[in-house]
Amino acid sequence: ILKTTYIFILLFIWTRLGLPSPLRPICDPRVLDRFIKEARDTEFAMRSCSEGCSLAEPLSVPLTSVDFAIWEKGDVSEQAQEVQSGLWLLAQAISAVRVSITSTALHSLLDNSHSNIHSIGQVIRSLNFPEYTPPADGTVHEDTWRVSSTLELFRVHTNFLRGKVRLLLSHAPACRRDST
Amino acid sequence: MIRLRQLAPWALLLVFTCCQNASPGLWDAGLEKKADLLMRVEHEEPRCFAEGMRDLTCFWDEADGGTPHLYRFTYTYENEESNECVVESQQREGSETRYFCKLLKVQLFGLLDIRVYRGETLLYNRNLLINLVFLLDPPANLTVTRTGKPGQLKLSWLPPPLKYMENSMMYEVSCTTAGSRMEKVVQGNTEFTLRSLRPGTEYAIQVRVKPDGLTYDGYWSDWTLPISMRTLPDDADPLILSFSVIISFILVLLSLTIFLSYRRFLIKKMWPLIPSPENKFPGLFTVYGGNFQEWLGHSSGGLWQRPGFFYLEELPVMLEVLSEATMSPPVQIQPGDSRAPGLLKETTQENEDEMLPKADSGMEKKWDPDLQENWLMDQFQVLQQSSTPPSQSSLLESKDAYVTLSQNFDQHPGEGKLEDISEESLPLHVLFGTTETSTSHPDLGSLPQSSGSSQLSSQSSFEYPHNTWPSKSLTYACLTMADSGISTDYSSISSSRTGMECIYTNDYKNQMPKERQPLATPPTHTGCWVQEQHNSSPT
Repeated sequence: ILKTTYIFILLFIWTRLGLPSPLRPICDPRVLDRFIKEARDTEFAMRSCSEGCSLAEPLSVPLTSVDFAIWEKGDVSEQAQEVQSGLWLLAQAISAVRVSITSTALHSLLDNSHSNIHSIGQVIRSLNFPEYTPPADGTVHEDTWRVSSTLELFRVHTNFLRGKVRLLLSHAPACRRDST
Repeated sequence: MIRLRQLAPWALLLVFTCCQNASPGLWDAGLEKKADLLMRVEHEEPRCFAEGMRDLTCFWDEADGGTPHLYRFTYTYENEESNECVVESQQREGSETRYFCKLLKVQLFGLLDIRVYRGETLLYNRNLLINLVFLLDPPANLTVTRTGKPGQLKLSWLPPPLKYMENSMMYEVSCTTAGSRMEKVVQGNTEFTLRSLRPGTEYAIQVRVKPDGLTYDGYWSDWTLPISMRTLPDDADPLILSFSVIISFILVLLSLTIFLSYRRFLIKKMWPLIPSPENKFPGLFTVYGGNFQEWLGHSSGGLWQRPGFFYLEELPVMLEVLSEATMSPPVQIQPGDSRAPGLLKETTQENEDEMLPKADSGMEKKWDPDLQENWLMDQFQVLQQSSTPPSQSSLLESKDAYVTLSQNFDQHPGEGKLEDISEESLPLHVLFGTTETSTSHPDLGSLPQSSGSSQLSSQSSFEYPHNTWPSKSLTYACLTMADSGISTDYSSISSSRTGMECIYTNDYKNQMPKERQPLATPPTHTGCWVQEQHNSSPT
């Protein structure tokens, strides 16, 4: 009987987690600031990378440049999609890089970055943005370009968080509704 | 078509340059200030800074006499094509020319590649992120107020009016006073309270701003115009001082009044009166300066007469021997034996008063303790064996030897009662009448002798019943009792006395000397003397 109740409880919790239940919106800017800080540290660490830091194959990364005049007029949901697809691309790239880099210290940083990207995804999900489904073929068409070194990759990573992700989160409608 | 496309930007450029030459106000004093500031901090050329979210200004200085058309400024965003910016110039003192370029549409968070060409040669090449080169205007509306506490000032200012950057600022506050300058960095807040300032001093306050470096970064802005404010003086201190002075004054007054009102009491407590015997000794201290001998001499010997005086007043007492003492074989007492005074002898009906001084004088000089011992024992033994004295035979023959002191000597001395008589007032008369060995615990009854100190009454052993003495021809001999059960402590003071009485004191032990021996173990002896013998003299 204990076992069954235990299993039942586990199932209950899992289904609750699996359901797209409305998470509490994460509006604290310090959450993303911490991710940006860690991304910056990883970027600085990559400057001293000696082995395996030039990629054999160029990796697709999102564009990071933001024109405020254009961004302000843009659609929030489109921007959310843009951000989420960019994050997905970055996650792919980081996973690819982790294989080729040998230094264990950098490994820990890479793992951290990877988990941070997933956490940002959670934050975006908490703000009730429509979820992004990665394309089945694995390629993204819009607004990507290719990098050929890890230094570039992590510079892109940092500035992507600083720019588009931050703008999206700080001006999310879910957060603005709470404040007003 | 290609030419048209290529020509178009050039045409536009021409237009721009013309217009810009027509409007030299592009480079204003504000820019000049910032450029000068940047010259100190940044050393990478061309120096570029962003004033807001939508512009970028880059400049470089050359000393070639002002030929902007020679220069080309190109910038390329990440993954985009290059653009070109029109170079402008500003003449400076001397032959220096400042060339600058201002971009009006910028993209942040993306790498920007800037190149400056002079002719065909690449002069400068720089990659930067615009979000990291902010040089903002100083904060506006700086206000300084006093908080009400000395040494504190409250500051507040407005943040830079930039959207998206409100929470990314940090400020620095500087307060300057005569000779010293203090700077403090404030994160995030646009107000601040300065503490631990010197009270009553004038401070000049300034603030400057910079992005915090996480998302946006840049250079420190220029300082605001200084605002002077004087801190509150230590006004609390004078108040406290005056209050404390007043309170202490009041306390002093209170203590004074209390002291004055209880002066006598306090003096009594602090310097208590030490009782002095002066009043008992008239003139001892005042006239004779404490010289007791002189005082004695001049006071008509009153002291010595006093015991006699006392004695005269006191009632004489008869002492009856109530208890027995163990005796060695008695010694015959011969009547008329003149061996020693104090024998039980017939008395004449002489006045004891006359005898008294004689006896006193006689005994006082020649009394020898050892002799006294032996003699006493002798006497004791003699008495035992003595024949019955007249009229006291009843007493003398009594088997029991009691020593009593009876105040009423009218009583029959042979009654043998033990009466309590106060020590101090009674002479010690011993009446013997023992013919048998007795127990070893004769009771001395009420020996009137106390410790034999300088009590006058202790000398009253010689109190003679004068006229009230029964006129019977009775002689009373003082003889020592042996161990009395009385625990009176007879110290050997008698020898130090003036010799009136011949109380010979020894330690009390409940033993009677068995033999006529020198008393090694101190048996209890008391000699008490009353003798009527007029012709007796101590040996």
